Amino acid sequence: MLQDKAEKNPEIIGFACSYCTFKASEMAGSLRMKYPEGVKLIQVPCSSRVDPAFVIKAIFEGADGVFVAGCHPGDCHFIKGNYFTRRKIAALKEMFDAFSMKDKLRLFWVSAAEARRFIDKVTTMYNEIKERKNVREKN
Amino acid sequence: MLGKKIKNGNIEDTLNRFLKDDQHLVLGFEKGENGVSLRAFKNYLDHYSLLNPIFSTNGALHLRRLFSKGTKIILMLRPCEIRAYIELIKLNQIEREDIIAVSIDCFGALSSKDKTDDIPAEADQLREYFKKTDTMRWACKVCRERRGVVGDAGIRIDRDGLFWAFSYTEKGDSFLSLIEGEPEESRTEMLMSGSEKQDQFQNDMKTFSKDFAKCTMCMNCRDMCPVCYCIDCVFNGDEYLPKGDALLNKILRSGPVQLPQGKELFHFIRMYHVSQTCVGCGACEEACPQGIPLTKYFKGISERLQGMFSYMSGRSFDESIPYLTFLEDELKNAED
Repeated sequence: MLQDKAEKNPEIIGFACSYCTFKASEMAGSLRMKYPEGVKLIQVPCSSRVDPAFVIKAIFEGADGVFVAGCHPGDCHFIKGNYFTRRKIAALKEMFDAFSMKDKLRLFWVSAAEARRFIDKVTTMYNEIKERKNVREKN
Repeated sequence: MLGKKIKNGNIEDTLNRFLKDDQHLVLGFEKGENGVSLRAFKNYLDHYSLLNPIFSTNGALHLRRLFSKGTKIILMLRPCEIRAYIELIKLNQIEREDIIAVSIDCFGALSSKDKTDDIPAEADQLREYFKKTDTMRWACKVCRERRGVVGDAGIRIDRDGLFWAFSYTEKGDSFLSLIEGEPEESRTEMLMSGSEKQDQFQNDMKTFSKDFAKCTMCMNCRDMCPVCYCIDCVFNGDEYLPKGDALLNKILRSGPVQLPQGKELFHFIRMYHVSQTCVGCGACEEACPQGIPLTKYFKGISERLQGMFSYMSGRSFDESIPYLTFLEDELKNAED
């Protein structure tokens, strides 16, 4: 049947720091670079604003993957926000690992100038999750 | 280590001397008709029990949001309760100034859900009892710290069956000064040794879903958890667990849901939120009306996540909770 053959597209939620990653995504837009439509960005004032509860909620309510993206460590607009993010998200990853679903969560550092890096990271994540999802659907 | 010997049960006299002042309180265990229970003593203390062989709630739960100064309180509690108290101090939920926390060697406890009629409350008998039977709570079997080595002071039992009081902080010294006798060197080894390390927790979502399928979302586990302290819990509003109109909107917007909804979400988020502060006391499992093995998950995850930062909840007053601090040069492989 046609519907079975149609590939399922994953939905990915991204929490993007408004000073770095969200700027990078805007720059990618103005440079007319494309990234998958399944990626939905949520702008947050700082990556440390992301309570891991947001990530867990996104995953349990149907997202196939979640990424949290912020400035490179040391470059935070609020001086030390992303150091806290790093600890929180690393711990959350460890927890996901304990439940064998580590692949659903990623942490990126993307600065405002790195539009290409943003596209690369997001597309790789999207493709990997899509592949895994479609393999799982077939079985 | 320098400590004071407590001659057969004179801790009761010591505490009674302390309680003579009207502004002094003792939180400890009382032997009553219906077994041993937690009690706040004022003025006079009777039927005092050093050990409590039954676990029902964590004593630190009652100290949350205690900020007043001027009332001196001595806590005579289990190590897990003192550890929860220390975590709450770090979270600014307790004013520590006038409180002396004394942890007492713990031999484990029975669940308050089990039959608890014939359980003794004396140290040596209790030890024999647990050697003979296998009724100890699971949380106590895999306890990380049974020894009275946390808090301001500790009461420990040595191999000869003698009780010793040791001080760990300045406030502990003031507790020791209440006890009669001169400090002396303890030469005999202590009865209780450190706990063995548990295997790293590993699970999959299938068993998790199966275990939590029984959950009725009563949220007793949250309410009885000593370290789950938020007044405005995220699950109180409509954002995470919509009810009524909000639920209707959600169903119309995103499809059918199982009711009560959000079982896995609730426990997952709570598991993360208490991951660094969980002391593994098992009060959540004690409070669960459905008998879900909550301790297995909460303790397993918290030990794994605390291990990442070489942290142990309630070990000392000075260590900061890992999520509230950072090192610039760490977790190099956190990024994907």
